[in-house]
Amino acid sequence: MAQQGVRNPAILLALIMGFGLAAPGPLRGADESLEYQVKAAFLLNFIKFTEWPPSAFTASDAPIFICILGADPFGDALDQVIAGESVNGKKVAVERLKRAPSAKACQVLFISKSEKNIDKILPALGPGVLTVGDEETFIRGGGMISFVIENRRVRFDINQTAAENAALKLSSKLLSVARAVEK
Amino acid sequence: MELKFPRAIRKDLNFVTRFRLNSRLPIRCARWLRLLGLLVAIIGLARADAPDPDPQVNTDPGTLKTLTLEQLSQIEVTTPSKEPVKAFQSPVAIYVITGEEIRRSGATSIPEALRLAPGVEVARIDSNKWSIGIRGFGTRFSRGVLVLIDGRTVYSTLLSGTYWEVQDTNMDDIDRIEVIRGPGGTIWGPNSVNGVINIITKDSKETKGMLANMGGGNEQQGFANFRYGGGNGSDFSYRFYGKGFTVAPEEHSDNRNFDDWRAAQGGFRMDWNEKNRSSLTIQGDFYEETAGESVQAVTYTPPYSQIVDANAALSGGNIMARWKKTLSASDDIQIQAYYDRTNRYEPNFAERRNTFDIDFLQGLKLPWRQQVSWGLGARFSLADDIEVVSGLTFLPAKRTDQLDTAFVQDEIGLLDHRLSLIVGTKLVHTNFFGFGFEPSARLLWTPNQKETIWAAYTHALRTPSDAEENFYLTGYAGMAADGTPIFARFNANSHFAPEQLNGYELGYRRFLGKDFYLDLAGFYNHHHDLFDEEITGGIYLEDNPAPVHYLLPAQFGNGLLGTTKGFEIAAEWRLSPVWQLKGSYSMLQMDIEKAPGSLDVGTAAGIVGSSPKHQISIQTDFELSKTLSLNFTYRYVSALPAQMVPSYSTGDARIGWRMSRAFELSLVGQNLFQPSHFEDGGDPGPLVGIMRSGYLKLTWRR
Repeated sequence: MAQQGVRNPAILLALIMGFGLAAPGPLRGADESLEYQVKAAFLLNFIKFTEWPPSAFTASDAPIFICILGADPFGDALDQVIAGESVNGKKVAVERLKRAPSAKACQVLFISKSEKNIDKILPALGPGVLTVGDEETFIRGGGMISFVIENRRVRFDINQTAAENAALKLSSKLLSVARAVEK
Repeated sequence: MELKFPRAIRKDLNFVTRFRLNSRLPIRCARWLRLLGLLVAIIGLARADAPDPDPQVNTDPGTLKTLTLEQLSQIEVTTPSKEPVKAFQSPVAIYVITGEEIRRSGATSIPEALRLAPGVEVARIDSNKWSIGIRGFGTRFSRGVLVLIDGRTVYSTLLSGTYWEVQDTNMDDIDRIEVIRGPGGTIWGPNSVNGVINIITKDSKETKGMLANMGGGNEQQGFANFRYGGGNGSDFSYRFYGKGFTVAPEEHSDNRNFDDWRAAQGGFRMDWNEKNRSSLTIQGDFYEETAGESVQAVTYTPPYSQIVDANAALSGGNIMARWKKTLSASDDIQIQAYYDRTNRYEPNFAERRNTFDIDFLQGLKLPWRQQVSWGLGARFSLADDIEVVSGLTFLPAKRTDQLDTAFVQDEIGLLDHRLSLIVGTKLVHTNFFGFGFEPSARLLWTPNQKETIWAAYTHALRTPSDAEENFYLTGYAGMAADGTPIFARFNANSHFAPEQLNGYELGYRRFLGKDFYLDLAGFYNHHHDLFDEEITGGIYLEDNPAPVHYLLPAQFGNGLLGTTKGFEIAAEWRLSPVWQLKGSYSMLQMDIEKAPGSLDVGTAAGIVGSSPKHQISIQTDFELSKTLSLNFTYRYVSALPAQMVPSYSTGDARIGWRMSRAFELSLVGQNLFQPSHFEDGGDPGPLVGIMRSGYLKLTWRR
């Protein structure tokens, strides 16, 4: 994400204006890391408010896996958020993937901005995978939840049809907090 | 024979100075306030220790995960520029007024919002006029302060000043106002002598949905604002807005309630973003206003001089396009072009002006930790000044002014980025005086994450304006014994030189503990070639313009010099997660005097006596509950002897009630300490009292 930050034209402009260069990196990182700490906390909440069919797991005592596909923007944040957490008696675990997951390997799939082939990955996923994207357009390409930044806050949009097609039940609580729900 | 200028004219003359413009693109440097808010939010949420260089220690995911979905949705995670640190670690005296601060203050106009920044003098003259200055030189047209809205310079070449009453936008769409105290000529251009006010509206992707509010009160009699935003959900977004208001006259002891004010404005903004790699923004505004004013109208025929209370018809519009492209992580280019039209039809003069402006900006990284930026700009301003009364004319009435600028600045990282040196200059070329340079050097030292120390030397210029170079302003001085009228007239001065400043600044910022923030800035400015009013000869009989009259010839000159010095202390204290306190104190000492050989007739005292020596401001915000918030502001301004304005203290209060997700009700009281008080003597006749006022506002969003 540091890369992304510098690419933002606004930042460059700040540099141009001569107020920027001496700013050490860490605080800039702090800003973005907060965004992903909040997103990590959201991911945990998504798990709490989603019902998976038993067929989504390899075994009844298998953990709920949150998989990150593509460049990991969370750093340690996601690991820290899920540390010691269990939902409905299931442990929560994080996996980082280089390619699309096999069946039942992931219950939540976070696809990072770096991933180019989202439209090929999504149709190939079996049922039982809650897909979360980092861009607003994600739910229109068949994804289920898109993170969006609105008024400097992290919000999310839901594509309810996509979730239902994957045999997932999203609680009304989740739907009510969503910024927008597409059906 | 001693000759006294009518007060109103003297006032106008004092105002008639300043310069033209150079636009600079919105500075995207971030803001220490946001940083503080962010840090406090992080700290408050995460029970971490004082701000720490390691971001992972700042935030505790253990706390975040206990929050509800709704609470998570309320955490602010980015600044609009995504740059929380820049203002805190910038080598300039900068204060950033956030959109949220403006909302909480209840300010209904940009000038009123500027009261939130330390070191800015905002004095309301009447319902639709303000005198605004930074570090002195407060005038109705804000002498030497460059004002931009989204990168568009709104400073007029007519009298090098800003007509504040026509600078407006939907207040809810303002992302922030960056206020830079002190010279910024190298970057910002040849008018940023005393400061820069940079008003930046939100990207349209942040203003989706409907927002409407309306309300009214005794002074803000009625207002309505509407905005709608949308987009395609990915790379395109837009918004449009409309607003209108009616403001009642302030208090007039002679009952000449001339300053009623009505305005309507609309505008739009469209943004295309391609993966943060390039972006295109197109925006525009148009407005129409009727602003009541009282002006001195002087004619060479009877009645010679009268005060006219009438409406000014003000209208205008602008359209702007800005394209940015990121070539690599440290290489970026931007091109911006705009067209601006203003029409002013006042009771004593009229103007139509077309301004065309284009700017190019590039930033690139060079070896040895150098970040170089350079830019080019050109502006054409075409004016048509229409004579309404014979005592106020422009000759020639039509003129085209051109401003060309080029700048280069290099920021060199020393000592592992803890120390950096920023050197640069602007080269200015205008038809007023040819070429000029505005060099600067700044040193920035950040020994740790909690402290910033900076120092700067800047040379800045205010280029002359149409009002100095082809302006003829006449005052009526009385009747001679033989019945012939006597006039004094400022004749155009085609040799008017740019006003110049050499500024020396020192600044220090730091966090004290986790909840207290302190910002100190001091300055010593040496000014020369300052505007003055000079009598250039003895009285003689003149027959053109007819009829025959006595004339005392005068001229605007560059006959003043002197120093200004002072400091500003600003602090913010987060006493608890629901209570914060901000305060500032500004001290200003102006010593302006006649240069050797100057024929000044008393301008210096008028300049010095029109800016307060001391200003104190305190703001406090309480979040009483999730739905109820309370805000108080207090301000003290010391006396303005040249304006006959005594010192005053007054305050505002706002209570906001979020009734539901869609509705918010707020009640705002302004200038509550007394039925009315004086802030500035800009209008002819007795001082206008700024009244205690209040309004109720209902906001609906979805």
